[in-house]
Amino acid sequence: MGKFLLLAFRNVFRNRRRTVMTFMMVGGGVAGLLLAGGYFAFMIDGLRESTIRSGLGHLQIFTTEHFQRDEVRVLDTGIDNWRQVAASVKTGNHIRGVAPRIEFYGMVSNGQKSSVFMGSAVDPDAEKSLGFTANLSSGRDLSGKSSGDVEALIGSGLAKSMNVKAGDGLTLLAVTSDGALNGVDVQIAGVVSSGIAAMDARYLRITLPAAQRLLQSDRITNLVVGLDNTANTDAVYADLGPRLKGLPQQMTLKKWIDLADYYKQVRTMFNGIFIFMGLIVFFMVLMSSVNTLLMAMFERTREIGTMLAMGTPRAWIIALFMVEASLLGVFGAVLGLAGGNLLGTLLNHSGLHLPPPPGYTNSIPFRVLHVPGLMIASSVLVIVSLAAASILPAIRASRLQIAEALAHV
Amino acid sequence: MAKTDPMHPLVKADEVTRRFPLDRSYVSALDNVSLQAAAGEFLAIAGPSGSGKSTLLNLIGCIDRPTAGRILIEGVDTSRLKPASLTALRREKIGFVFQTFNLIPVFTAAENVEFPLLIQSIPAAERRRRVAEALESVGLSARAKHRPDLLSGGERQRVAVARAIVHRPALVLADEPTANLDTRNATQLIDLMHDLNRRLGLTFIFSTHDQRLLEHTDRIVRLTDGQIASDSTSEGGHHGQVFAARV
Repeated sequence: MGKFLLLAFRNVFRNRRRTVMTFMMVGGGVAGLLLAGGYFAFMIDGLRESTIRSGLGHLQIFTTEHFQRDEVRVLDTGIDNWRQVAASVKTGNHIRGVAPRIEFYGMVSNGQKSSVFMGSAVDPDAEKSLGFTANLSSGRDLSGKSSGDVEALIGSGLAKSMNVKAGDGLTLLAVTSDGALNGVDVQIAGVVSSGIAAMDARYLRITLPAAQRLLQSDRITNLVVGLDNTANTDAVYADLGPRLKGLPQQMTLKKWIDLADYYKQVRTMFNGIFIFMGLIVFFMVLMSSVNTLLMAMFERTREIGTMLAMGTPRAWIIALFMVEASLLGVFGAVLGLAGGNLLGTLLNHSGLHLPPPPGYTNSIPFRVLHVPGLMIASSVLVIVSLAAASILPAIRASRLQIAEALAHV
Repeated sequence: MAKTDPMHPLVKADEVTRRFPLDRSYVSALDNVSLQAAAGEFLAIAGPSGSGKSTLLNLIGCIDRPTAGRILIEGVDTSRLKPASLTALRREKIGFVFQTFNLIPVFTAAENVEFPLLIQSIPAAERRRRVAEALESVGLSARAKHRPDLLSGGERQRVAVARAIVHRPALVLADEPTANLDTRNATQLIDLMHDLNRRLGLTFIFSTHDQRLLEHTDRIVRLTDGQIASDSTSEGGHHGQVFAARV
């Protein structure tokens, strides 16, 4: 077996120019996949953490009723005794903090013009303790200390539409939990930008007490749970679920991934693009390698004929070609891994930024993550491609007519 | 000199015909040829180019099949064997020496000689011993680690001979073994083959039109236009009397 592998190994380096060309092609494919995949991984990882840090948290607690029916009145499916629930949750392992939220909507007016807003009411101190920071483009964040004025953060698109800036005033109108119309004057503390234009055109944030006064309710929509590490999400989910069962209201616990539709769409899109790229590399390596390996077979016709004449089983000839092709793949993959990782590191230090994608307003830094799984998958892909490419030449070689092969010039 | 036992010849070609397609008709390379060779013979198949020498060797070596007739090796009708059995028969019973040496260029001389043992899955220690023995017998022990491109033509052909005998085959077939050698190397090779024939009792059947080689053979079968024209034997490798085909 050792000599057989030695023969395959030496055959790989028989025609050095052709071998180098094949290495470059295979290595280029692997490096391309590593760079693209590493960049996608960076984007997906970044999107995951930014999605969580933007306020989604790792887990969210709702009443079960919240998912069973639409609200007839504001907050009528909300959490009643939320402070008790929050206190109970905080005692668990890996819990960084718990933040109450109210999601509501209404009208915002500057006295001349009105617009619809999607409101979020938060406890600023709890948000800060979880690392949920608003992406301010001007002004400052909400303060947890109560003062006379009701403060608000407003999306950049909405601010532009209402022609206001930090320090200006606006009036919010919303339907209370009793069905009445209520209003409150707010002062804009800051303008925020999520990077998503559609969100920025409607977004508005006030403090929890202000929202409860506006909506005339002590309830909240949900509790957001922040963990010390995203990797602990499943463990905490498993621990927390049973503990919520003994409460007066029936609760439902959701993981961040269940609420992050946008993240899932983007991840699916990136995965699709990567699979498509992988297929292109697979067929590129396959088609060009078939030609290379057929040439190698043609050049060695007499030698193969000699081996067959001496009684070499035809399966050995097939195996020899497949091992040679696989070795080409292994060496090419190693070259590609080295090149791809080196290039990725250089790009990471280049400070390169890509223009914002559709729907985004911020440019994105070009960074490539070094993902071990990606390296293994890319290497396996090209090795399998080459092994597949060798099937036709290997079968042809094994089926050579010996007498004709020996007469081959 | 070995004698042909009509009941149990090592090789028996029985009314063998081999035709090849040519355009819409056929050309006969061999026409109804019958031949026997006993174990230990040093048999030359002579004849001009196109007379069917290589075709006959290919058929005896089971690397081609006759259009009609049959080839028996040690009494086994090879026409009845399946491809895998033919492969095994070649692997175990036959050694080949080719006109153009046909060594594996990426293997050293020793590795080339080792190859027939490798495909028989013989253990490494035994392989090393036999390879050393075979290279010793062809006088190339000192060149064991050289690749073919670093060997002379004569040395390459001696490596090929070592490769053909290393697995102790019943029969060694050599197709024009001296055709690519100069006189000195050709003479050395002829002496070597004859020595192996006498010393180890190996059966050699080879095709040639090299008069130097024919002078050293025990028996010459002459082919003309795919048919046996004569079958002659001599004592001590010197030919005088010409016999008709013996079978």
